[in-house]
Amino acid sequence: MTSSVESANTSISNDSSATDAILSPEMMAKLERMELVSRKIFRGRMKGERRSKRKGQSVEFADFRNYVAGDDLRFIDWNLFARMDRLYLKLFLEEEDLHFYTLIDDSMSMDFGEPSKFRVAKQIAASLAYIGLCRGDRVSISTFTSSASPIVVRGRSSAHRMLGFLQNAPCSETSPTMEESVRRFCLKNTGKGIVVMITDLMSKTGYETALKMLVAREMDIYLIHILSPEELKPTLTGDLKLLDCEDLDMREVSVSATLLERYEQTLNGFIEQARSFCNRRSITYVSVRSDQDIDPLLNEYLRARGLVR
Amino acid sequence: MSWINMLTPMQWLLLAAIPPAILSLYFLKLKRRESLVPSTLLWKKAIEDLHVNSIWQRLRKNLLLYLQLLFLALLILACLRPGWSGLNRIGERRIYVIDNSASMQATDVQPSRLEVAKSKAKALISDASSNDVAMVIAFSDRADVRQGFTSDRRRLLDAVDSIQPTSRTTDANEALRAASGLANPGRTSFEENKDIQVAEAVPATVYMLTDGAIGKLAEDDLGQLKIEYIPIGKPGTENLGIVGFAIERDDSQKENIETFSRIINRGSEHVDCTASLYLDNNLVDASSVSIDAGQEVGLRFELSGVDTGQLRLELDHQDALMVDNVAYAAIRPNRQVSVLLVTAGNTALEKALQTGKLQQLASLKIENVGFLDSPEYEAASGDAQFDLIIFDACAPKKMPAGNTLFLGGVPPEDIQGDSRWEFGELTGPALILDVNRTNPVTEYLEMASVSIVEMRTVKPPATGTVLMTSDVGPVFAVAPRGPYQDAILGFELVRPTAQGVEINSDWGIRRSFPVFIYAAIEHLGGGITAASAPSVLPGGAIHLTLSSRSNRYDIVDPKGKKVSIDRGVDGRFIYTQTDVPGVYEVHSEGLGQAVERFCSNLFSASESDLGIRDTIDTGADKIAATGATIRARQETWRWLLVIGLGLLMLEWIIFNKRIFV
Repeated sequence: MTSSVESANTSISNDSSATDAILSPEMMAKLERMELVSRKIFRGRMKGERRSKRKGQSVEFADFRNYVAGDDLRFIDWNLFARMDRLYLKLFLEEEDLHFYTLIDDSMSMDFGEPSKFRVAKQIAASLAYIGLCRGDRVSISTFTSSASPIVVRGRSSAHRMLGFLQNAPCSETSPTMEESVRRFCLKNTGKGIVVMITDLMSKTGYETALKMLVAREMDIYLIHILSPEELKPTLTGDLKLLDCEDLDMREVSVSATLLERYEQTLNGFIEQARSFCNRRSITYVSVRSDQDIDPLLNEYLRARGLVR
Repeated sequence: MSWINMLTPMQWLLLAAIPPAILSLYFLKLKRRESLVPSTLLWKKAIEDLHVNSIWQRLRKNLLLYLQLLFLALLILACLRPGWSGLNRIGERRIYVIDNSASMQATDVQPSRLEVAKSKAKALISDASSNDVAMVIAFSDRADVRQGFTSDRRRLLDAVDSIQPTSRTTDANEALRAASGLANPGRTSFEENKDIQVAEAVPATVYMLTDGAIGKLAEDDLGQLKIEYIPIGKPGTENLGIVGFAIERDDSQKENIETFSRIINRGSEHVDCTASLYLDNNLVDASSVSIDAGQEVGLRFELSGVDTGQLRLELDHQDALMVDNVAYAAIRPNRQVSVLLVTAGNTALEKALQTGKLQQLASLKIENVGFLDSPEYEAASGDAQFDLIIFDACAPKKMPAGNTLFLGGVPPEDIQGDSRWEFGELTGPALILDVNRTNPVTEYLEMASVSIVEMRTVKPPATGTVLMTSDVGPVFAVAPRGPYQDAILGFELVRPTAQGVEINSDWGIRRSFPVFIYAAIEHLGGGITAASAPSVLPGGAIHLTLSSRSNRYDIVDPKGKKVSIDRGVDGRFIYTQTDVPGVYEVHSEGLGQAVERFCSNLFSASESDLGIRDTIDTGADKIAATGATIRARQETWRWLLVIGLGLLMLEWIIFNKRIFV
C-alpha cells in the first residue's frame, strides 16, 4: 500500500513538474492523516472503512440477537452461551465505503483570478478526493462538462489517475449551465454520499434549482463558493464596457465610488443570499477566496465545518 | 445691447477651437474601454437601478456636456463684453491727440515714432476705466478727428490703428481747437453783449503723443483741457535734411538752369555726404556736402541744355528721417500762350504786346479787322487754336471757341439778352472809380488818372464779375461762357473813323496799360511765366492756371496715380491732394507732354529737427513731459480667462479619470 502511494506521488510530481502540481507532497502527507466525515450514514456498495447502517463484519460491536438456524456459527457469542446457555448471535456494524462526489464548475468565469478560481477549485477537489482515496472511499470527480461521465476512483493507488484527470481538466466555453450539469449528475449518480460542489455561483440562470435537485437526493452537500479578489474588490476605473466572458453580455459602466459601493453591496447580498439558501436546506456553505491558501482552508475551515477530521 | 470685441481674430480662433475639443472629449468618453470580467451578473445587478430609466440616464450623461458648453458660451459672451447704454455716470473724458506729421516717420524708435505713439495710445485706451469716454484726433498741419467721444474701446483702438503717417508739417493748435471744441461744444454764446456759458465746461485730459515739434500752443485754445504731453522718440536724434530746393532759368541763356538748395544738419556731429542731382531719374551731377553740427549750407548746381524735366536732389546719408533727404523740383514746360489780336491799328496796344516778358509768355498774331470775315478765322475760332483772342474796337459776328478780350467793340448778339451781357449807350466823359483788386487781371492796376471820352456801361450776367466801375456804371467785367471766359471793356483806346483814328482814352500811355495786357494774357490765356514749377508743402493747396485749349486735365502724382479734373471756367484750379512728396504733372487731354508741373516738398526746418522737446510751450506755462510717469494698468483678464479654460479642461480630465480618494 505504501509503495503505491509513493509511486502515485512520484508520478504526480513528475506529471506536474512542468506546471504547478495541484497537490504538493507535503500537502499530500498532511492529507493522509485526515478523513472525510459524513454527517449522515449512508449505505455503501462495497466493504469499506465506514460504518454502515447494515450490520456486518467489523470490529465494532453493534448488538446481540437470537440465533436462528442458518446463521453463521462464527458469530455466535460463545462466552454468553457459556453463561446463559443460550445461543446469541453477536452483531457487528458493517463497515462500508463512503461515496464522495466532487462537482467542479468549469465555466469560463472560473478561469479568472490569480491563481485562477478553477485551479483553486481543482486543488480543493484534489485534496478532498485524496483524503477520500486514502480512507478507501469511493471518489467521483467531475466537472460541469463531464458531469454525466465522472471519473470514479477508489483506493490510494488511484490517486495518480484522479490527479491526472484534474490536472488536465480545462475550463470549457461549452460548459452547460449549473442546472443542467446537476441534473445530469443526479441522473448518473444514484448513490448517496457526500457531494462537494465547487463553484463561483455566477450562473445567470440561478443556482437555486440545481441545489434543490441535490438536496432532493438526500446527499450530504457542501457548497464551496469560490470568488476571486477581482470579484470581491474590483480594481476597475474609468468608463468601461464590461464584457461577460461566458455569454459576451456587454454592460457599460462608468466606475465611480458610488458604483463600486453598490457593487459591494450587491456582492455581499449575493453571498448572503447563497449562504442563507444553503443554511435553510442543510447545505454547508463555505466561502473561499481564490487567493487564499488551501491548507488553512482544509485544516481549519473545513474541519470546523465538519467535512474533514 | 452693445458689444465690445476684446479679442484678436487669432484669439477668437483659439476660443472657437474649444467647443469642438470638449465635444471630442465627450466622444472619446463614449468610446469605452473594453474589460473582460468573469461575469456581468453582479454588475448588472449593481447598475440595475441606473437602468430603470435609460432616457434619464442618457440625459444625465449629457448634462455635464451641456453644462460645460453653457459655461463656454457664457465665457465667449463675456469676451464680447456685452452691455447696455445705461445711465452710468460718464467717467473721465480723454482726448488722444496723435501727431502723424512727417517727423513722426523717424525711425529712431522702432518701428517708427508714429507706431510707438499708436501703441502707447492703445495701451492708454486699454487701461482706461470702462466709464471713461475718449476721442482720437490725428494731427499734422491740420486736425483729423478719427473718432468722436465714445466709450467703445474697440472703435477707439480701430481709430488709432487707422492713423497713417503723412509728410506734412505740424500745427497742434488746430488739433487742440478741435479737441477743445468737441470737448466743450458751444462754450459760450453772446447775447446782448453778455458772455453766456451755454454748456457746462467739462474738463478733459488731452494725451498729446507727439515728438514735440509743434511750436507754441495758443493758450486760448486750451480751454478746460488738461494736457498730458507724452514725448515720442529718442532725445538727441540726429538728422540731415533739405529745407530748400529751387531752380532758376538763366535769363540770358534760356537753356541754362541753375538749382539752389539749402541743407541743414540737425545733429551734434559734423556730417560729410554726397548730394546727387537727378534729371528725369538720370544722374546729372553730384557734389560733396560737408556740414557742421547745427549748421546749414547752400548747394548750387548748373545745368545747361535743359528744356524741361523733373529734378530730384538726394542726400546719400542714412538717418532717422529719410523723407527730408530728398527734394524735388521741376522745370516747367516752356509753353507759350497763343494770342490773336484783331485790330484796325493801335500803337499803344502793339507796344504793350512787344515787351520782353510778353514775348516769352505769348506768341502773338496780329490781324486786321477784315480777317474776321476770312475762312482762316472761321477755322481758327472753331477749333480753339488760340488761347486768347483780343478784339480791339471790333467784334466778330459769332463768339469764337476760346477766351476773348474785347477792348471797345460790342460783342455779337448771341451773348446778349436775358441774364446775359447788357451794354449801355455811349456816354462820356467818364472816370474809373473802382478796380476789383481780388481778380488777378486787375490786381495791380492803378486807374485813377485814366480819362475816358466816351464809354458804355458793361453789365455782366449773374455769373460774371465786375472788375472796373466808372462814375456812370460798370465798365469792365469778366464772365464765363461755357468753358471759356469773356472779358469786355466798355471803351476803346482809339476809335477808327473815316479820317483816321481818334483817341478815346489816355490809358494807352499810362503805365498800367502794359501791366493790364500782361495780366490779361497771363490769366485769360493761361500762360506759364516762371521756369521753376511751384512747390508746396505736402498736403498744401496748389493754384493752377490752365490753358483754355483743353477742357479736361489729368494730374499724375509721383506714385503714378491719375486724377482727372475739369478745367474751371476761369482756367484756375486748386489742387490739394499733394500728400506724397514729389513732382506732379498735369497732362492735357490730347497732348502726351505735360503742360504743367508742380512739386510737393517737405521743406520744414522744424520737421527736420528730430530732437525731443522736454516741454510744450503754452505761452504762460510750460507742459512737462509725463510719458514716464503714466501708470499703465496691465489687464489680467485674458490670463484669467486662459486659466479658467485650463481649469475647465482639467476638471474634465479628472472627471474622466475618476480619481477618487
